Amino acid sequence: MPELLAVEDLSLGFRTDAGLARVLDGVNLAIQPGQIMGLVGESGCGKTTLARTVLGILPRHAALIERGRIRFERSDLLSADDTTLNDQVRGKAITFIPQDPFTSFNPVFPIGTQMMEIMRWKSPRRAQDGGHNTRARRAADRDAVLAMLDAVQLPQPRQVLAKYPHEVSGGQRQRLMIAMALLPEPRLVIADEPTTALDVTIQAQILKLLRRLATERGVAVLLTTHDLGTAYEICDAITVMYAGQEVEAAPTDAFFRHPAHPYTARLLASLPRADGKVLGIPGEVPNLLAPPAGCRFHPRCERAEPACSRSRPPVTLPGQGHAVRCYHPQA
Amino acid sequence: MRRLEMVLSRLAWFFPTMAGLIVIVFLISNVIPTDPVRIVAGENATPEQVAALRVKLGYDKPIAIQLLNHFRDVLSGNLGVSIYTQRPISEDLAKRLPATLELSITALSLAILLGIPLGVVSALRRNAWIDQVLRVISVSGLAIAAFWLAMELQFLFSMKLRVAPLNGRIDGFGPEPYTGFYVLDSLIGRDWESLGSALSHLALPALTLALPAAATILRFARAGVLEVINSNHVLYQRAMGIPPRLIVWKYVLRNALISTVTQIGLIFGVLLTNAVVIETVFDWPGLGSFAVQSILQSDHKAIIGFTIWTGGLIVVVNLLVDLLHSVIDPRGAR
Amino acid sequence: MTGSWRRTAARFLGDRAALMGASLILLLVLAAVFAPLLSPFPADVAEFHTANRLRPPDGVNWLGTDRMGSDLLSRILFGARITISIALIAVGSAVLLGVPVGLVAGYYGGWPSDLLMRVSDIFLAVPQIVLAIAIAQTLGPSIENVILALSITYWPFWARLVYAETRSIKNEVFVESAIALGASSLRVMAMHILPNIASAIIVRTSIGMGATILTAAALGFLGLGAPPPAPEWGRMIAESREFLPEAWWYATAPGIAIFMVVMGFNLLGDGLRDILDPRIRRAVGRHA
Repeated sequence: MPELLAVEDLSLGFRTDAGLARVLDGVNLAIQPGQIMGLVGESGCGKTTLARTVLGILPRHAALIERGRIRFERSDLLSADDTTLNDQVRGKAITFIPQDPFTSFNPVFPIGTQMMEIMRWKSPRRAQDGGHNTRARRAADRDAVLAMLDAVQLPQPRQVLAKYPHEVSGGQRQRLMIAMALLPEPRLVIADEPTTALDVTIQAQILKLLRRLATERGVAVLLTTHDLGTAYEICDAITVMYAGQEVEAAPTDAFFRHPAHPYTARLLASLPRADGKVLGIPGEVPNLLAPPAGCRFHPRCERAEPACSRSRPPVTLPGQGHAVRCYHPQA
Repeated sequence: MRRLEMVLSRLAWFFPTMAGLIVIVFLISNVIPTDPVRIVAGENATPEQVAALRVKLGYDKPIAIQLLNHFRDVLSGNLGVSIYTQRPISEDLAKRLPATLELSITALSLAILLGIPLGVVSALRRNAWIDQVLRVISVSGLAIAAFWLAMELQFLFSMKLRVAPLNGRIDGFGPEPYTGFYVLDSLIGRDWESLGSALSHLALPALTLALPAAATILRFARAGVLEVINSNHVLYQRAMGIPPRLIVWKYVLRNALISTVTQIGLIFGVLLTNAVVIETVFDWPGLGSFAVQSILQSDHKAIIGFTIWTGGLIVVVNLLVDLLHSVIDPRGAR
Repeated sequence: MTGSWRRTAARFLGDRAALMGASLILLLVLAAVFAPLLSPFPADVAEFHTANRLRPPDGVNWLGTDRMGSDLLSRILFGARITISIALIAVGSAVLLGVPVGLVAGYYGGWPSDLLMRVSDIFLAVPQIVLAIAIAQTLGPSIENVILALSITYWPFWARLVYAETRSIKNEVFVESAIALGASSLRVMAMHILPNIASAIIVRTSIGMGATILTAAALGFLGLGAPPPAPEWGRMIAESREFLPEAWWYATAPGIAIFMVVMGFNLLGDGLRDILDPRIRRAVGRHA
């Protein structure tokens, strides 16, 4: 089966006053149609940058893409021109759920205005009438919005549309964000830590809702998170990143049963255990202005050997759909 | 309901502010060691005449009584009679108010129409050449003495190029007075000749006043845009493929406007300050030239009257700005 | 502390606007101090040569002559002395009056300070120039009276600013801990609050100098400044009015002089604002 999205050997840096920060270093990532993929890593590992690169919304002057490809369906997103991407990809084939639903609404416009703005440009009915925002289409779009608000279980959808963002709760705002992400009928939703800003009690509800709606509609999701528990609950497969490199990718089952990369093992061990102990990972996240050569985890890895600092390990396949980049993976 | 509460508290604050204004102006004019009676009586008056006039004008009473009388007069709209024009001061001020309002509202509109789009462009092209050029222009606009700019504009456009009248408010008798605003009046009366004349007379003084105001607005608009351009809601709309032009000119602009509106009161104050001097240069028959005349004639009561009116005008403008702000910013109270 | 000062100095030298502003101000100070040496005709400040009146700029009178035949360049150089002394003394006394008032009101709070701030609000509601004109007129035209008028009308700006700044840092940890350690109110205000709001005061003072020079020039223009033959820039522009359009240089020279000086203070203020960013300032305060 051809992948829906394939990131291949992507390297990218940010220009800073102190030099080029090498944020992504030869990253690979593949998502199948309808698959829910968790992109897991500590904060600063490059997962948000990767999500924004796919969307093409990195700061134009600061970001420098050194090499790599991002294939989406049949086209290469990195070489497509921005107008085409805006018209056909962003908000349409690929939509976005932001990290912070509190600040991702414009505070001075009613929610309905902001939702209808998205429908005006991204409605699936847009193609039918030659792009014109006719009265009939607006009515159909509005019905679709109300139906979707119902689907994300928002009480009193009509009243919510007339409200301003600060008048609804954080959980409701994130439900609205999910609704806006699904309304254009995309093939892929990129959700960047969608529950980090929410109360712990609401997080699970929102994640389950996202999973259910995506599965029902056959939409693939790229979910970035620093929380393995979140990934375990809703993802079909997991890719782990460390300091701008992907280190391991596997179906969720295999991932938790047979972690192969030393970093993944460490990450799993650092989850709070039944006895309440948390095992930290010794060492520090590397400085991206002068990152270690080869496998970037080697300075913190107990199994590191000279080869690890010379070149990055190639992909090995310990199981079905399971890929790891380590010279000496755990059996 | 928080919004209504805020509006009411602002309205309630209007009266103590005006009362305080009246007291302070009165005290300043009484603390200053000159004798208004002697000035009114003239240089040739005998001591007896001065004493009689003092009783007649009420200056013989204790200062607290004078203040009370003053309050009573101001509240009943009676500001006394101008020494110079021999007319009631409130009448003079009322006749001249439309001229000053027409000038300052035109200048303010001009400044907003120039300042906001340029401020947005400046922010979007941050540190590019156009931003640098606009920065130099806006810093310069705030450094030019308004009366000097007025003279140089007169020199260039009225004396050399002869495309604008040198001074005054209109040629001929002016349009039928409905509102006292010549532009409006000539539109109402379909008096096209007066309209052309009024507009051409308005051009240079309005431009002079607009330049520093536009510079200030440009800076606030630029700062306002920069504050939101990197915000999460703009990032979200970009990620959702909303056309960039629309994001800037509909969504970002609204946020920038809100931060600019809060400054309009301040800008209007500076505008009125400049108008005082500018009206003299352009012979504009408004409050400012009235004030300068009264001051040069030592027309004590006229100065007090003018100060109360301008102070009141600024307080009212600030009140309007607060109301406008509470309307366009749904987040309510600051 | 030394390190942070060195950083500030380095950023200052890296900021073109601030550097240019400082250079313009330095130019003004040099012109004022060395006016007798720099002027081609220092005696022209008080002497008339009516035979030479209204000469356009040439090799002898670089900026031309005025209606009395005096050399404009010389008069402008001497005029810098008036400008700088008005700005320094007027802003200086407004700061000396406004800062303690704002500091005390902001520190103690309560109804007396509310009242004080309302009074300054009312002062701010009247255009500064109107009050200043009224005061200067009744006292009679002189430099001293212009300075007095400007200081009386300008102190509320500083009272307001310092009040707001004091209120906003009064509850910071370092102030509260100083109070908890038993420091006297005077000591807390002078040693803990004032240093932390100093940069805000410095920035406003720089911009306030520019505004004051403009107001003083306007007073001079209306005939309320130093009496003739003092070479006051605003008055020179007023004198030139009746000779437009022929004597174009007459108004141009003092106008540009005012422009450059005000520009200098504005650029310096802008630059200082960027350099002494409030967030950095707060951080320094916590470590002190």
